[in-house]
Amino acid sequence: MDEQIHRLSCYVENKPGVLARIVGLITGRGYNIQTLNVGPTEDGTVSRMRIDVLGTDRVVEQIILQLRNQVNVIEVTSRRM
Amino acid sequence: MNGDKKRTGARALVESLEKADVDMLFGYPGGQALDIFNCLTDAKFPFVLGRHEQGCVHMADGYARSTGKPGVCLVTSGPGATNTITGLATANIDGIPLVVITGQVPLALIGTDAFQEADTTGIARGVSKHCFLVQSADEIPETVAEAFYIATHGKPGPVVIDIPKNCQQGLTDAQYPERVSLRAYHPESAATTAQLHRMAKMVNEAKRPVIYAGGGVIASGAAKDVAALARRAGIPVATTLMGLGSFDERDPLSLRMAGMHGTPAANWAMNEADLIVALGVRFSDRVTGKISKYAPKAKIIHVDCDPAAIGKNVSAALGIVADVKDVLTTVLSRVKQAAHPEWIAKIDGWKSSHPVSWTQMHENVIMPQAVMESIDRATKGRAVVVTDVGQHQMWAAQHFRYSLPRHFLTSGGMGTMGFGIPAAIGAAFARPDHKTVAVCGDGGAQMTFEEVVVAVEHKLPVTFVIINNGCLGMVRQWQELFYGKNYSGSILTVKGRCGNERLEQDLDYDYLPDFVKLAQAHGAEAYRVIDPAKLDATIARAVKSKRTTLVEVIVEPRANVYPMIPAGRPVSEMVFK
Repeated sequence: MDEQIHRLSCYVENKPGVLARIVGLITGRGYNIQTLNVGPTEDGTVSRMRIDVLGTDRVVEQIILQLRNQVNVIEVTSRRM
Repeated sequence: MNGDKKRTGARALVESLEKADVDMLFGYPGGQALDIFNCLTDAKFPFVLGRHEQGCVHMADGYARSTGKPGVCLVTSGPGATNTITGLATANIDGIPLVVITGQVPLALIGTDAFQEADTTGIARGVSKHCFLVQSADEIPETVAEAFYIATHGKPGPVVIDIPKNCQQGLTDAQYPERVSLRAYHPESAATTAQLHRMAKMVNEAKRPVIYAGGGVIASGAAKDVAALARRAGIPVATTLMGLGSFDERDPLSLRMAGMHGTPAANWAMNEADLIVALGVRFSDRVTGKISKYAPKAKIIHVDCDPAAIGKNVSAALGIVADVKDVLTTVLSRVKQAAHPEWIAKIDGWKSSHPVSWTQMHENVIMPQAVMESIDRATKGRAVVVTDVGQHQMWAAQHFRYSLPRHFLTSGGMGTMGFGIPAAIGAAFARPDHKTVAVCGDGGAQMTFEEVVVAVEHKLPVTFVIINNGCLGMVRQWQELFYGKNYSGSILTVKGRCGNERLEQDLDYDYLPDFVKLAQAHGAEAYRVIDPAKLDATIARAVKSKRTTLVEVIVEPRANVYPMIPAGRPVSEMVFK
């Protein structure tokens, strides 16, 4: 399967350590994050992360499932770029 | 609330642990945990002092594995916290609920390279289910409640609470919450009616079905439900290493353990099956071998509470994210009574042509497999068996007949040497009504031997059996089979070392340490057996003793674990000797 850029949109609780956990899940598998944007939403207790990562569909699907398992992750969606 | 209701964060922590129904705390003190330790002497639960933080976490882990309740551990900052990492990783990969509380330097000193400062949550993140870094005393009760909730809901796992010293000392009137509501974490998930219908249909239509039961069955308390499904639909049951005890191995439907060192019947049955009902498993590489050749004829139904487990290693025709017990209790009435006489006859043929067996390599030497059978006889198959990691772990998996859940405790995923002794102590604390036997190799036993003191001082009637082959047996086995018999770094006796290890060759001792003297120095009753004729009597004597006992059994060093499917190879490459 070919590697492709996938753009993950994550809504997460705005708490310390959340960014590190999410980034760690991706980089710990040897995948490089191409772009990372983090910013507040209108609800100040929720942050939105946009992460572009290069990987196969199968690997990215696994990453998404693992992200959704995280205690502070509210929602994850993705699309191929 | 008025000011006089306030108490320190440390006091609030101890109160919160009482509210969380903690009945035993394992740990080791240090500077940044002293405020908490100061409050422990009034706590309703006892404190057990380990001798190394790794040992403390494994004790809490053994306690959790044998009861299903979360194990709880308290250590200090810096080295205290970093010493817990192996224990956290061990619990994390096997899905064992733990709450590990670490002291931390005061918030104002974090990031200053203060004495005994380490970024505990940063280090622990990758080996835990969740980490909290407490920011104020007010957060402590709620954080404790959330930690216990997270540790025990969804796939269980270890949770770390890092508490800076100033938060332990700060005053708070915060109360333990009556219920926990986490904004983003809602792991409960149930099977849909359509999924249950489809599962029942697949089971009812299968000609060569196999149930494949893992640690998730034990975590979910579903052993009886697995047996009910197996009997009703006439399905043979294989287990993973972590699933041993989830189905009675003396039952005619039992295939026993599958995988690298599993039974031929279990592996061949999965290879020939047209349906695998996988319950609470994660299809570890130690079971699947070459993934593209795994169960080539089977459709797979995969039931697990962890959505990320489904489709991770094998693709399932039907994946159900739900509690195993819930699924089995609701699906049972939709499953038809069945027997599969041809399939069962084929399997019975495999069982009789390739039984679990071993050969005596020479006279006058104890074979390690015989030690397992001897313990099984002496304890009438009812002991809680705790293992370390290596050859003896596989022999313990193969040569005992497990019939009950939570009676085989082992570091499955992480393969942590040093797990056995402390985990057995934790299990013995948790289940005083059961005989606990730890089976360890001479390598792993030396990693955490200091914890034997804890068993002795609490008068725990644990029996530690050291299978001493004078080498790191599993490493030696792989070197024999795959590395041209180049025994680099794996020989513990003086004789047989590689030249680069530069030992004096004229030493007048060979086996070191003397485990009998070592055990006696720790206050335990100890025996050594070399003569096969004395094995049964010595084991029987040790397991009957009311004291902490250790039996050092000198065994054949060249014994290997068979059958074996070499790593990453298909079932067809199973070797028998």
